[in-house]
Amino acid sequence: MASGYLLNRGALTLGIHCQRACRNISLSQVREKKRWMKAYTYLMAKKLKLEGPPPPTPRSQQPHWDYHAEVQAFTHRLHENFSLELLKTAFINPCYLQMEQEKRKGLGVESETAALVLKDNVQLSKKGSAFTESFLTDWCRASFPSLPAIGVESIVGHLTSPAVITYVARNLGIEDLTMSAEFPVPDDVLCSTFMAVIGALQESSGAERTGLFLRDFLVTQLIGKDLFDMWTVVNPMGLLVEELTKRKIPLPEPRLIRSAGASTVLPLYFVGLYSDKKLLAQGPGETLAAAEEEAARVALRKLYGYTESHRPFDFSPQQQHQQPFIQSVASN
Amino acid sequence: MTSRGTPSRFLRSVLQNGVGRYVCQLKRISIVFSKKAQSSLGVRDFIEEGVVDYANKNPGTVVYVSPQPCRVPKIVAEYLNGNVREETITSKTSQQISELLTKLTNQSGLEIIRIRKPFHTDSPSIQGLWHPFTNRPPSIGPIRPTKGLTKENV
Repeated sequence: MASGYLLNRGALTLGIHCQRACRNISLSQVREKKRWMKAYTYLMAKKLKLEGPPPPTPRSQQPHWDYHAEVQAFTHRLHENFSLELLKTAFINPCYLQMEQEKRKGLGVESETAALVLKDNVQLSKKGSAFTESFLTDWCRASFPSLPAIGVESIVGHLTSPAVITYVARNLGIEDLTMSAEFPVPDDVLCSTFMAVIGALQESSGAERTGLFLRDFLVTQLIGKDLFDMWTVVNPMGLLVEELTKRKIPLPEPRLIRSAGASTVLPLYFVGLYSDKKLLAQGPGETLAAAEEEAARVALRKLYGYTESHRPFDFSPQQQHQQPFIQSVASN
Repeated sequence: MTSRGTPSRFLRSVLQNGVGRYVCQLKRISIVFSKKAQSSLGVRDFIEEGVVDYANKNPGTVVYVSPQPCRVPKIVAEYLNGNVREETITSKTSQQISELLTKLTNQSGLEIIRIRKPFHTDSPSIQGLWHPFTNRPPSIGPIRPTKGLTKENV
């Protein structure tokens, strides 16, 4: 402080005996370069290197957090009317309730004085996942009428898989609002929270709005995906033969259409499948067997109407339910 | 640094935003400013006049206003994909701050780095991409120029 500085200057002029007096004065604020700063910084850097970065903390434990405001903003952001009570229940997981009960027991608080009046989201989650599966199955069947049941199941299975659901939930801000025992929120907890949110939406706004919500956020994840990425078919030729016999079309005969570089490291063969001397599909491959399999897959995609050039899915607002039934997926 | 030395990304949207419904990607902003410093004068004016209108216009964004002793007033914007952007607003006027906020609201949370191509499509071809065998008569063997106009090529 200024008084300390003046005293020090005084010490220089008045000699050694004033310095002895000045040494005991402690300055409460040092505005100059701090002598301990370098050692402290090095120590902290060493500690970071030894222990690694600090574990992530949930957003609710960082500054600037208001749960009620966040939940309201969540509803407005998605343009949906949720009942806030149901939504708050949807975010509460059973593991969180368990952890709270144990904390209260550990602190010695009796269960009557501070009862935990919170319901968990197990019911809503079950409801939500049942609705999601039924909606997605209906949507798939309507968009791809010729796709068999196994295909529909595998597409729905892919869309409700933990990978896709957690990706969607994280990018919608559900992870911040979830109340769970561990952080970062484990995948299965996040999935069940997402399903509980769907259940809450269904109870608040009805099945149609929930269907539109699922279409806008889950079905959009199908954009750019190929059918056989989601549905593993071991024997495409066998499946093709089955499909053609069902439709009473003559069986396919494979013929080599084009080849190039047969004696090189990267040969290329195009095999075409002909039924009754008309080309069904052609596909490329490095070996003849691979080319034949690829041709079978191309033929299956054309039959089921899941090509890259199919008519784009209808995402227009509020018109979802009429269109897919009229939509005919015409290829070729 | 050249473009190879700095990070770059492709044009994309978070979660196919806009295909189904448009979701504003900004989830919360925190305005950190000082009650008495000169650098926060514009922020204080903005908070007096503009912040309530902004919060009403964007109901999907939570606005936290936090007066603290700080030299440098900041806006911390958090986006739905988890990215956090800090912008310093020292000595900006109220008008400039509201423009900055509109800019932050309209951004998706993806990083502001070089975008490799200004276009993106999930269906690059309707009739099928060209490859050297397109529109050629089927043949087995190396690709040779077809001699003149034959009946197939016309």
